[in-house]
Amino acid sequence: MDIIQHILVYITVAISAFYLINKFLLPKSVWAGKKNNSKACGQDDCGCH
Amino acid sequence: MSKQINVALIGNPNTGKTSVFNQLTGLNQKVGNYPGITVEKKEGICKLPRGVKAHILDLPGTYSLNTTSLDESVAVELLLNKNDKDHPDVAIVVSDVENLKRNLLLFTQIKDLKIPTILVINMADRMVRKGISIDIELLEQKLNSKIALVSTRKETGIDRLRNLIADYKNLPKSQNVDISVIAPDYFERLKEAFPKEDVYKLWLVITQDVNFMPLEKTLIKDTSSFTTKSKSELKRLQQKETILRYQFINGILKETYKIDANAAKGFRATLDKVLTHKVFGYLIFFLILLTIFQAIYGWSEYPMDLIDGFFASATEWVKDTLPPGVFTNLIAEGILAGIGGIVIFIPQIAFLFLFIALLEETGYMSRVVFLMDRIMRPFGLSGKSVVPLISGTACAIPAVMATRTIENWKERLITILVTPFTTCSARLPVYLIIIALVIPEGSFLGLSYKALTLMSLYLMGFGAAILSAVILNKILKIKSRSFFVVEMPNYKLPLIKNVAYTVLEKTKSFVFGAGKIILAISIVLWFLGSNGFSDEFKNAETIVAQRIKEKGFSANSEVYFENQQETLGNNLNKEAAVTQLKDLEERALSQEIASYKLEHSYMGYMGKAIEPIVRPLGYDWKIGIAVLTSFAAREVFVGTLATIYSVGNDEEETIKNRMAAEINPRTKRPLFNLASGISLLLFYAFAMQCMSTLAVVKRETNSWKWPAGQLVFMSLFAYIVALIAYQILK
Repeated sequence: MDIIQHILVYITVAISAFYLINKFLLPKSVWAGKKNNSKACGQDDCGCH
Repeated sequence: MSKQINVALIGNPNTGKTSVFNQLTGLNQKVGNYPGITVEKKEGICKLPRGVKAHILDLPGTYSLNTTSLDESVAVELLLNKNDKDHPDVAIVVSDVENLKRNLLLFTQIKDLKIPTILVINMADRMVRKGISIDIELLEQKLNSKIALVSTRKETGIDRLRNLIADYKNLPKSQNVDISVIAPDYFERLKEAFPKEDVYKLWLVITQDVNFMPLEKTLIKDTSSFTTKSKSELKRLQQKETILRYQFINGILKETYKIDANAAKGFRATLDKVLTHKVFGYLIFFLILLTIFQAIYGWSEYPMDLIDGFFASATEWVKDTLPPGVFTNLIAEGILAGIGGIVIFIPQIAFLFLFIALLEETGYMSRVVFLMDRIMRPFGLSGKSVVPLISGTACAIPAVMATRTIENWKERLITILVTPFTTCSARLPVYLIIIALVIPEGSFLGLSYKALTLMSLYLMGFGAAILSAVILNKILKIKSRSFFVVEMPNYKLPLIKNVAYTVLEKTKSFVFGAGKIILAISIVLWFLGSNGFSDEFKNAETIVAQRIKEKGFSANSEVYFENQQETLGNNLNKEAAVTQLKDLEERALSQEIASYKLEHSYMGYMGKAIEPIVRPLGYDWKIGIAVLTSFAAREVFVGTLATIYSVGNDEEETIKNRMAAEINPRTKRPLFNLASGISLLLFYAFAMQCMSTLAVVKRETNSWKWPAGQLVFMSLFAYIVALIAYQILK
């Protein structure tokens, strides 16, 4: 039982730490990749004109 | 399953667009941001007849498609961009029955984009009182569109609107105004250069100053068969277009819209005279502020006590019910303590938003903007800066974004830089807990000292914003001119539904937005406070027992004994008194062990490392840790302290009691006393302490220079003011 509780604590702490690092330290581009602007307004196939 | 209909809700500000949105979507709505930019995006789902569903998008308020600010351009971009997933199948233009002429300008522009358009004439319940009559059938014919006469107050006309949306395919797509008559040669050449495109769309793309890729204009300039006009010529053509549209609108309204000029005008004029008066206007505004702060304290006391008690019982229940172990401790001392530290402030935050929503709904907020313009001018700000400054009382992030309505760059930049000084709702939990701890009970002229302190902090934040604006106005060498135009909407009784939605939505976003961060920080802090690598941490039990044997209990425990003796009284017999004393000593021993372990945990070492910096302000290492973690978000301060004081603590106690019982080992006085409390209040009043605001400032100014300067200036200023206050009061 004690081991399970320890494992649960480590998992919870790891998830929390990852969440905070991801939110405040990692740049957004790490997960988003390069933004695809090909459909942005003003481009050839944007549909605005 | 049939495809959802994309509906764009668009209209001038103050036409009741949000009320129509609320009635269409009910609670099926969510608020987010437009991708890539930080303009608020409100969307919801509306159920239509025959099982059809519509996706409703509430666009930022705009007077016309000739945008002057960044958030207005969101509407134009969506209407022009067919590839946008939210590009509307049908547009609903919401207008106000009393300002139909002005509202129709936007309507005709959208209609000319050949998007099926429905006109909603809102506030129909005011027609009789204002002596207005409209020939709806004729107006529909003239505008070649469908109209829904709606009263969101009386909840009439919404069913017709739903039916019209469902039948959007039958709406005519024809244009209202042929704008090529304003410059036939120019538009002829435009048509020749881009034969496949609609001329009005091209015209809008050419004339938008904002938010469009430079490529677009380059493309038009480089096309050999077409040369665009200079900026001033384009402006002149835009003016001609507006005149042409108003000629069209006037012609139609002459036949369809009648108004009895003698109908009630007096009440509004009289009220305006008083509320915007040079003396009474400010006095009334001040009295309203006083009432709000008094109510925040008076009304929320009972629910706050209930929440506090609930979390204390929940912690005890978890410890008693779940199998003992580290994970149970994490839930009780980390998770519950952290969440409890933020949930407790829901009543006060809800009351604050309730009052702000009421002021906006009644139309009084626009009068405040008008009043404040007189004061703002000499400081390099405009009346429009008041909106971000007042929005800043909720959160600096949307407030910084709200500066997009300020056309003048210098005024906008100054407003962005000074807005974080206004007291946001994240500061409120910090203020409330510290005020409750250090400000004595009592009242002055019926207003409690605590309410007066809170109001002073709000005024101080506002004062700091103004002072900084003066300095920035002198320092920044940006030349610009601006004009102030504000619309005074009619006074109206607030719609309970709208107010309720606003309170619910804002409170929800406060709790869930900050809640996730606070929860994660609480968990990490609990871990750092419950583990350590040193021998002191590992042998805490032996070391503390030895120390007590040699030197006796610590100052904290002595105060604990005194308090407990006061509570128990002297009515016990000798045997009971001995048992009681033994019990108290055991509890004090376990608390001292917990405190010693905390001091030698990972968190303890971190706190000790920053203690030299915060000690001159009257803080110990625990407060230092809370100040440091609250850089993520200010409200984390309370959650952090709640977690720190819960680690290893078996007592069923509220956060406030735990903080009140904390003794400074150096001074032997309560850690949270008047001097350290005022110092903390002032530090939080002026410090930047918000990573998200810095990120938004960077995005809005497109440079790290401004947020970096803002961070350094505000932190230094806060530190110096807090230092002076503590050194004087200690």
